[in-house]
Amino acid sequence: MKIFIYITYFFLISCTDSKIDLVEVNATDIKNEINKFKGNKSVLVNYWATTCSPCIDEFPMIMDLSKRYKDHLKIFFVSTDWIEDKDNALEFLVSQNVQGLSFLKNQKDNDFINQTNQNWSGALPFTIVFGKKSGNVVDFWEAKASEKRFIRGIEIGINEGELNE
Amino acid sequence: MNKIFNLMIIFTLMTFLQSKELEIGSKIPLFAVKMDQVNGNPISLKDAMGKNGLIVIFSCNTCPWVLAWEDRYNVIYKKYKDKGFDMVAINSNQGTRNSGDSMSDMKNHAKKAKYEFPYTLDEGSKLANAFGATKTPHVYLFDSNAKLVYKGAIDDNSRNPKKVEDHYLMDALDSMIEGKKIAQVSTKAIGCTIKYVDN
Repeated sequence: MKIFIYITYFFLISCTDSKIDLVEVNATDIKNEINKFKGNKSVLVNYWATTCSPCIDEFPMIMDLSKRYKDHLKIFFVSTDWIEDKDNALEFLVSQNVQGLSFLKNQKDNDFINQTNQNWSGALPFTIVFGKKSGNVVDFWEAKASEKRFIRGIEIGINEGELNE
Repeated sequence: MNKIFNLMIIFTLMTFLQSKELEIGSKIPLFAVKMDQVNGNPISLKDAMGKNGLIVIFSCNTCPWVLAWEDRYNVIYKKYKDKGFDMVAINSNQGTRNSGDSMSDMKNHAKKAKYEFPYTLDEGSKLANAFGATKTPHVYLFDSNAKLVYKGAIDDNSRNPKKVEDHYLMDALDSMIEGKKIAQVSTKAIGCTIKYVDN
């Protein structure tokens, strides 16, 4: 009986872990979530859409990096798909084995982009890195980028400030 | 020493590749540069300039946001043509000339979407680079002196013209016609990156 309870328990836990929670958000909601990691992990946020082929191209590479740097880095994906295409976004996230919290933009473009980062023109994909220590933006880039470029940003986010200590 | 020299070259190249976007009040860059267009007659922005101004849209054949917004291209063109404004759509996707953005693809697309305005090919993304344009669709509105008065999005709803609340570009055009100050001179919207050669 005890074993049965344990098995049920672990089954439930594993189900919870692999579940995607695709939440409709505005730019402030995302900032609030990022702030929770300040002092603990660097955060990389990737803005993408199912209709953006460069975004789809770089997605598996970002997933690989999320595993490689999991102890020091949290990665969030923000879909900018049209709200009525939410199911497409969800389907793609499942296919890429994304787990846990993920975001879907539900705010007008102009406000969303300006409140996200003044340097973002709106072109996809867009990636921002927040420093582990300060929680501030330490790097960002527009358009598809190489793994090398991502690693450079991630290393800045993780090692932020340590050189001065 | 060599290393410093190499770094200097890299930084110069980076500055060149990531041109700063045109500021409000700037003159149209590369005004007289001729571009091939879908009807076969090369045209410059100077040639296209209307009596009261010019709408320039960086566009392409495949971007989902262009496809969502382009049902408004002809509407805007026709509405303001009689009021002295002309329009040009420019395809600067040099990096995808072999995958959807060739002149032949452009001709097919212009025909299918019934473009009534010039649709030009920006060889080597020269104009996009001079404008500092980053995405499609990306709009620039110039006055009769060829000075930039508005840049950014067409309106605030790419997919559903009936649900538009802010007609950014048309509001800017109406303000010019009425001699009023343009309320919002710069807006942003989600779009595709322009496929420069190095992409």
